[in-house]
Amino acid sequence: MTGGEIVLEALRREGVELIFGYPGGANLPIYQHLAGYPSLRHVLVRHEQGAAHMADGYARASGRPGVVFATSGPGALNLVTGLATAFMDSVPVVAITGQVNTTLVGRDAFQESDVVGCTMPVTKHNYMVTRVEDLPRVIKEAFYVATTGRPGPVLVDVCKDVQQATFEPSWPEAVHLPGYRPTPDPDPEAVRAAAEALSTAERPVILAGHGVILSHAEAELLAIAEKTVTPTGTTLLGIGAFPVRHPLALHMTGFMGTGWNLRAVQECDLLMCVGMRVDDRVTAKLDEWAPKAKTFIHIDIDPSEIGKNRRPHIAVVADARAALRQMLPLVRPPQPGQRHPWLLQIDRWREEHPLRYTTSNGHLQPQDVLIEMYRRCRDEAIVVADVGQNQIWAALWWNYLRPGLFINSGGAGTMGFALPAAIGAKLARPEKAVWCVAGEAGFVMTAQELSVAVEHQVEVKIVLLDNASLGMVRQFQDDFYGGVRSQVDLAVMPDFVKLADAYGLPGIRVDEVGQVAEAFDFAERTPGPVLIDFRIDPEANVYPIVPLGKGLNDFWELPDEYA
Amino acid sequence: MSTPDQPTPISRLRVLTAVVEDHPGVLSRVAGMIRRRGFNIQGLSVGPTDQPGRSRMTLTVDAGHAEVDQVQKQLDHLIEVIEVEDLTEAPRLNRELALVKLAVSGPRRDRAVAEVDRAGGRVVDASPEAVIVEISGEFDRIERLVEALRPYGIVDLARSGPVAMSKQVPAAVVELAGQHTGVSAS
Repeated sequence: MTGGEIVLEALRREGVELIFGYPGGANLPIYQHLAGYPSLRHVLVRHEQGAAHMADGYARASGRPGVVFATSGPGALNLVTGLATAFMDSVPVVAITGQVNTTLVGRDAFQESDVVGCTMPVTKHNYMVTRVEDLPRVIKEAFYVATTGRPGPVLVDVCKDVQQATFEPSWPEAVHLPGYRPTPDPDPEAVRAAAEALSTAERPVILAGHGVILSHAEAELLAIAEKTVTPTGTTLLGIGAFPVRHPLALHMTGFMGTGWNLRAVQECDLLMCVGMRVDDRVTAKLDEWAPKAKTFIHIDIDPSEIGKNRRPHIAVVADARAALRQMLPLVRPPQPGQRHPWLLQIDRWREEHPLRYTTSNGHLQPQDVLIEMYRRCRDEAIVVADVGQNQIWAALWWNYLRPGLFINSGGAGTMGFALPAAIGAKLARPEKAVWCVAGEAGFVMTAQELSVAVEHQVEVKIVLLDNASLGMVRQFQDDFYGGVRSQVDLAVMPDFVKLADAYGLPGIRVDEVGQVAEAFDFAERTPGPVLIDFRIDPEANVYPIVPLGKGLNDFWELPDEYA
Repeated sequence: MSTPDQPTPISRLRVLTAVVEDHPGVLSRVAGMIRRRGFNIQGLSVGPTDQPGRSRMTLTVDAGHAEVDQVQKQLDHLIEVIEVEDLTEAPRLNRELALVKLAVSGPRRDRAVAEVDRAGGRVVDASPEAVIVEISGEFDRIERLVEALRPYGIVDLARSGPVAMSKQVPAAVVELAGQHTGVSAS
């Protein structure tokens, strides 16, 4: 077998069905044999960043690792943003890149770049393969590392002469990585202590992150929240981990979280964070975060997350599901009536700080679009959002009841994520309706992937929330940078209806609220990808929002005069 | 200047030892992580262990603005790092090796060699124009000799960076050693 065939056979053995890739000089010996592996479907992207985001969206929607091919030099470097996106959000992606011949490495050969060096900070692990006999082991390890413990992207850089060398492989059954301990068992003492603290707290709050979704711990989370009557919120990436219409739901926390969530976090006497990093978007000003929490419990699979930002009183280093499952029988319900004051208080906050939006200025509002979209899909569709205001509106104005229905770039905040990730998600879950919600600015960063949607008739419905500006940046400039608007005006953009037509998909434009329902009718009855350009209020803002540098308690709401 | 033997008052300087897989790029991985996390390497030495394919690194790292235990945790996070020990608070031995080249001859050489003897170093190479002196020991001991030799004109100074080892023996190893004794006695 050649090295190229070993790569393909190794992928087949890993159960890979779909590859997002782009051929070039240094990976042609792999592509030469692709047709010989009919179970490996290949999607030719139009830019390698698109491949990385498609693999990411595929992985988030399916729970299986996404696979990417790219050639050396610029091909591999174009993956970097996509790998960083997957890395920040703990998404399993395996990237296989071509590299120049082993004899040319280090000589600044054509299309040579130090891809292992460049991707070291944005991958969970990476490899450079210079001997064909290492390939079966390395690819096995790559999938193992990407998918176990806290998942993440792994890159395998394969020199071109290695792809051409021949070798009769023996396929390893197991991996041997003495320095890798992916799933620590929960410490029973710590779990007992956490259960006891949660059972005796007066004003407890649970926050759930992406780790709850990755470990499928939502049932255990719900059971613990209900048994202990604990109000429970989520991070942006944890959306869906707890049903948002549950009476105990606190909805989204953090920098742009709901008012009642932020009040509850600031007033709670016990805070239990599960499967989350406690990053700056969750805490806002760290020294003012959860100041009354006498007990802070942190459950996370990654030991380096414990105490990185806030030192916990009780730490459980474990898979969220394993930890919560062990904790469930140990927690006790509160005394009759014990929880009433806390729940009443939260209800008052919910009434005092409702989510609301401008309805009085005659412009089409993003919420008009999202509410109509939700009315039609209920909780069955997958929503893939881009980054910016569109992302937060999609997070807050959609009632996610289950995990896996909201996909977005939370940690890296990568504009241009939504379209390719939505294509990947739809290919992973063809039975699901997939909506891509994006601003026009992020959309054009990867819009070339429309060709992929058309070529494969990937039925992604694209909802552009088009405010003809960099909305979130404009909002920051208005509110936090002295009102000086600088380089945020996108008055000159393509006509998106014509753009869609040029790519070969139907597109329509909507300017008024009265046309919204009709537009969705059109999208739903039209097979294949569809684009709707919703021209929304150019001044629409995201609320609530915590001013930069302030604590959660200082959040701003939609000013009354705009309501 | 802070040194391995004189921790800064807030103890942000950590002394760690790590057993790593002897792969190409592992040093770059460790160094990259340290820079990326805002830590700073003050001393680093790498050498083989008694096990093939494994190397030992001794690192003296300033934790920067991070929580100090992050240094160990982030090292442990790397897949090619097999085990890490933070020796900062543990009873431990620190050793560093220094080579000093002095361009001395005649009576100046005799006085310089006498300084070396007093400090516990030794002359390891001598030519008509120069001597090379070796000294190993804790940071302070090396500093003292270097200062004492400075007036004689140091041509070259090479220091290995510190290596460190915990004085403690894990309980499991003690037990194992006891069993070995039992076997040989029977």
